[in-house]
Amino acid sequence: MLLTSVIFVLREVLEAALLLSLLLSLSKRLSIVSSWAFIAIVTGILGAAVYGFNIDIVSEWFEGVGQEVVNAALQMAIYVLLCIVAILAMRRHQDRPVSENVLAVVMAISVALAIVREGSEVMIYLSGFLQARDLLVPVLAGSAIGAGIGVSAGAVFYYSLLSLKRRAAVIVGGLLLSLVAAGMAAQVAQLLIQADWLPSQYPVWDSSWLVEENSVSGQLLYALIGYESTPTPLHLIVHLSSFVIIIFLAMAAGRSGTASLENAHA
Amino acid sequence: MSSIRRFLVVVLLATITLINFLTALHGYRTSMAKAEQLFDAQLADIADVLALTAGGLESSPAVLATVMGDGPGIAFQVWHHGELLSSAGVAPENLAEPVAPLVVGYADVNFAGYRWRAFSRYVPDTERWLIVAERADVRFNLAESVILESILPIILGLPLAGLLIWIIVGRGLRPLKDLAGEMGNKRSDDLSPVADFEPPQELAVLINSINDLLRRLEASFEREKRFAADAAHELRTPISVLKVQLHNLLRDADEGMVALRPLKAAVERMEHSVEQVLMLYRTTPEQFAANFTDLDLAGVARQVIAALYPQLEAKQQQIELVADRSPMRGDAFALRTLLTNLIENASKYSGSGCEIRVTIKHKGNEVELTVEDNGPGIPADQRDKVFERFYRLGSDRQDPGIVGSGIGLAIVRHLVDIHGASISLGESSFPTGLAVTVRFPAASSANSGRSAA
Repeated sequence: MLLTSVIFVLREVLEAALLLSLLLSLSKRLSIVSSWAFIAIVTGILGAAVYGFNIDIVSEWFEGVGQEVVNAALQMAIYVLLCIVAILAMRRHQDRPVSENVLAVVMAISVALAIVREGSEVMIYLSGFLQARDLLVPVLAGSAIGAGIGVSAGAVFYYSLLSLKRRAAVIVGGLLLSLVAAGMAAQVAQLLIQADWLPSQYPVWDSSWLVEENSVSGQLLYALIGYESTPTPLHLIVHLSSFVIIIFLAMAAGRSGTASLENAHA
Repeated sequence: MSSIRRFLVVVLLATITLINFLTALHGYRTSMAKAEQLFDAQLADIADVLALTAGGLESSPAVLATVMGDGPGIAFQVWHHGELLSSAGVAPENLAEPVAPLVVGYADVNFAGYRWRAFSRYVPDTERWLIVAERADVRFNLAESVILESILPIILGLPLAGLLIWIIVGRGLRPLKDLAGEMGNKRSDDLSPVADFEPPQELAVLINSINDLLRRLEASFEREKRFAADAAHELRTPISVLKVQLHNLLRDADEGMVALRPLKAAVERMEHSVEQVLMLYRTTPEQFAANFTDLDLAGVARQVIAALYPQLEAKQQQIELVADRSPMRGDAFALRTLLTNLIENASKYSGSGCEIRVTIKHKGNEVELTVEDNGPGIPADQRDKVFERFYRLGSDRQDPGIVGSGIGLAIVRHLVDIHGASISLGESSFPTGLAVTVRFPAASSANSGRSAA
């Protein structure tokens, strides 16, 4: 049970931790006070508890697929918020007037929603073992290892991003933000396929021989780029198009900034 | 602001956690594989023992129970030409067929609602098949509980590691903190080298540079001071001569030579500047402290006002003194200079016909001196700058009628520092104007009569 718990908890914690690290390093770069992160974490954990405790009620919505649909909505909301972050961050990067509070609030909400989504999964998983006394120790030990690896990877990731030079940081940070956001959007497709709202299809390929999804490296790739060893065509389309959309939005924001700067100089 | 301590603690702890947990996971996987092999070997051993006693199996299940132990997770069957001779731990509905294929070796099979690891063995002598099976979940849990014993301390030790890292990093960074404290405690005019500090190798270079910088700074301050004092001193005699000559010239000159009057004003101004510069640089705090006497600030104020009265009257200015008896320790000459400078400033910048009020209050442990006027005052954003030497407000630079060098308040600040007092500028209690408040430490808490002039 230990290994299963490690992978399960790692999957959820790593995703939230990487998003938090990415946005924290971004806010540090843009000289935004990082107290929003603390508020987001506390709100997220409280929200996860409320969501987790009421999962029975939520599950019954939409003819029994309430959990999938609500999770898909959460993921979609995170993707949209990350698009807004990308646009605002790009504007601020070019020293154009962007309210620091608006950016902090958008980042805080996206992190809080991610924690609600991932945290509730962990809660539901762990609560299932509360009655099974003999499994509780390995499950808790596995969860601790999974959470430890996830949070530590997030911390190392955060300081690695901060150690980059400004130009590299803009490129790497922007690319990672787009990849993570696209991964979030791709999960929307996955969840709606599970809920039978979207048709299930045959996978395009199976790369589990290369990177097993249920391994630490597989989970790291999943959290970073939304890695799926057996993606369906729909999944791929959503993944790629959401990646292109966020990149396009950020670049459009960047270009209009350059244009207005040039006009100002002219 | 980024913190070295937070960075070190977080990154060290994260690295330790990652390495420990990933190696623990690796250890868990290999240990589980090893345990599988051990359990498999044990299964084969049981089959061997059963083969030896196989003759007596049918007659004595009790022997068998002893051989296999009485755990719930073990089952066996003995088959002879398609006929089940003996069985244990297998549910009755699974007795019709062998629970595992009759092929020598290991197999993973399902029966009785569980997954089992089975070992089949053929005994040629008696032509019997022995199948020994063990429940997969039981062996898995057993192996896991053993391995967990070695993994749990790694997890539980982590908070301890975190605490120790926090303490150790804090201790390692203490010299830096000490140095910061040493620099922070330095008085702004203390340019002595950082000496009371045993620096570690990494900080020695920094401290040497700081000390070197402080030494050079002190030397250049000293040079500046000496130069100004010497220059002022050297200028005194020629100015006196100039004054006398000018006086003679004015006495003998025709009425028409009005151009000589501004010249007289300019020479006075030059003399005033030179005296002030000398005042500022001639004195060091040590020299002053030696001359401190018990005095009453109200008395000093009365003398100063009396001396300045003709000058104020000529400009039709009114002055009022509201004073408690205020005993304190100080240097009478310095305090006279201080009061003269403050009152002259008020008089100078408020224009003719203005009102000046000098208030001296004895408040608990301090004597509070306030000089206020109803002139134009100083904008709040310029109040700090007026203490700088030779700083003059924009308006007064353009007014040729004001004799000033921009050094008066710098001297006041110097004298305030020497007396361990504090100075602040604020709004006067008149509708407009400036209030300068100086707070001296009082000699005793005695408090008596008021006087007004």
